[in-house]
Amino acid sequence: MRILLAEDDPLLGDGLRAGLRQLGFVVDWVRDGVAAERELNDGGHEAAVLDLGLPMKDGMDVLAAVRARGVRIPVLVLTARDAVPDRIRGLDSGADDYVVKPVDLHELAARLRALVRRSHGQPDEQLSVQDVVLDAAKRQVTLEGEPVTLSAREFDVLHALMLADGRVLSREQLEQRIYGWGQEVESNAIEVHIHHLRRKLKAELIQTVRGVGYALAKAQP
Amino acid sequence: MTGPRSLQGRLLALVLATVSVVWLAASAFSWWEARHELDELLDGHLAQAASLLVVQRGRGSHEDDDDDERVDAPMLHRYGPKVAFQVWHEGRLTQRSSNAPTEPMAQTQRGFETVTMNGEPWRVFATRGAKRDIHVYVGEQIDSRASILQGMLRGLLAPLLVALPLMALLLWWAVRRGLLPLHRIGQTIAQREPQALQPIAADAAGENMPSELAPLVGALNGLFERIATMLDSERRFTADAAHELRTPIAAIRAQAQVAQGAGGDEAGRQHALAATLAACDRATRLVEQLLTLARLESSADGPGDAVDLSHVARDVLAELAPAALARGQAIELEADAAVPMRGSATLLSVLVRNLADNALRYSPDGARVIVSVGRREGRPVLTVDDSGGGLSDAQQQRLGERFFRVLGNAAPGSGLGWSIVRRIAAVHRAEVTTGRSAALGGLSVRVAFAA
Repeated sequence: MRILLAEDDPLLGDGLRAGLRQLGFVVDWVRDGVAAERELNDGGHEAAVLDLGLPMKDGMDVLAAVRARGVRIPVLVLTARDAVPDRIRGLDSGADDYVVKPVDLHELAARLRALVRRSHGQPDEQLSVQDVVLDAAKRQVTLEGEPVTLSAREFDVLHALMLADGRVLSREQLEQRIYGWGQEVESNAIEVHIHHLRRKLKAELIQTVRGVGYALAKAQP
Repeated sequence: MTGPRSLQGRLLALVLATVSVVWLAASAFSWWEARHELDELLDGHLAQAASLLVVQRGRGSHEDDDDDERVDAPMLHRYGPKVAFQVWHEGRLTQRSSNAPTEPMAQTQRGFETVTMNGEPWRVFATRGAKRDIHVYVGEQIDSRASILQGMLRGLLAPLLVALPLMALLLWWAVRRGLLPLHRIGQTIAQREPQALQPIAADAAGENMPSELAPLVGALNGLFERIATMLDSERRFTADAAHELRTPIAAIRAQAQVAQGAGGDEAGRQHALAATLAACDRATRLVEQLLTLARLESSADGPGDAVDLSHVARDVLAELAPAALARGQAIELEADAAVPMRGSATLLSVLVRNLADNALRYSPDGARVIVSVGRREGRPVLTVDDSGGGLSDAQQQRLGERFFRVLGNAAPGSGLGWSIVRRIAAVHRAEVTTGRSAALGGLSVRVAFAA
């Protein structure tokens, strides 16, 4: 799951990026408000962690600007401003969650997963298609109750497809969701991941729509 | 002077005392005036009575001349005993009142004299007939005059005794009513919440603010305003300080968790642990700066030890140099041999350290920083020039606002250094000016101390 981290403090930003990576996220880190706004408008991320005291442009202004443009990405505001009026203002100006520093990394990850799940209209932590069940928190996939070992990328591709809930995702969309900045993407990487997933799970689970992309087959044929 | 503690009691006592004094003075004057008039009148009566006796005696028959006519005149009035007379004819007492002695009543032959008879003071008028060797004395007990005056004085003072308590009662009510606005204001203030700092309303004392109270209320409102501003800035400072401390703490927590969850990634763990320590240093530095600022805020008076500014600058730069050299930065001191001034060595070194540290911190690797100390126009002056990017006019204006940090700056900092610099400068009555460095092109900061 690819998320955007907007935090100007070098030590905190570095810690959050490393910690969220450990917990299976793909993290892109920006250090100022202008870059944060640009990336949010770009729409390449599943969710964003936004600090309010950003240089160049305040986090609250960034949030208001992207919401005004109709950007629906779930935004978790991470800030030191803990007064109730601040929280209310943050939530009212378009934040989906408001967390006061310092925060536990596991809690932050859980909140991000919940935000992404909700944004896809999925109420459960576990996603399932046919007899494949994906637990995002445990990063575990089972087939007919038996655990299946997947690589991190394979898991991410499956997660993205499951969140899409039957809609078709293009190769570019999948690449965008599972690779962060500066990560080299080989031209046939997605095809390889799909191939492995079909082999490890079920061949007919992931359907190819020629020239368009991939989608999950919701019901067994 | 210790008087009644309440304003009302004080006013009451003063008014009553004034009234009593005026009344007593008026009484004393009346008494003195009345006594004078009474003396004139009664002396006149004595003289008249004496002349009557002389005339009557002169018209009397000669046959009676040799008679010893010691006729006791009847007492016709209760004041009778207080009046006495004698008529002497050729050395003999021919007539007298019953209470008169047989000796001449006075030494004098003519005019008034005050004598003592039977232990009582008497006012005696003596006169004589021209032809027949007649001496007449008419006397009156002075005591009777005194009793008339006493009666009059009673008439003057008795009403005062009755009126004073009554007046005190009326005055008490009047003063209380007059001081009602003061009472109302007192109640308004007493009923306030301890945190309430809004100004006292113009109608707090009643319909109109009395002119005597207006300055007091104005001063109080001014005080409330200053306290409110002070509390507000304290509150904001506390909030800002907490905010600033949260970020390094969050960083410490995040990095520690990363180290904990690193698993087999030993390089990642080491990186996270190093970052944890760096974040701890950041928090420590921030706390130190906050404490310095708090101590400075509470110290108002200027320090006055003899200090050599060159010496202070040299010590500070020696401390900063290793870190600067590690970044390839050149730090130089251009100082006169000794720049003596009055101030606190501790505070001045904090000031120099903050300025030099800022210049190094916000200038790129390989930059040059020149600190110069000297005397310009008789004033000790410290300047710090750097070859960094400098600051825009707007940014220079905001320097010294607590927690203001130049945007887009990657170097860690709390934004407190300048607050501290400004405060120390204020304590030393120094002027701080910023501008573009003519020598190095970056920021130039000039601190000019009082001569």
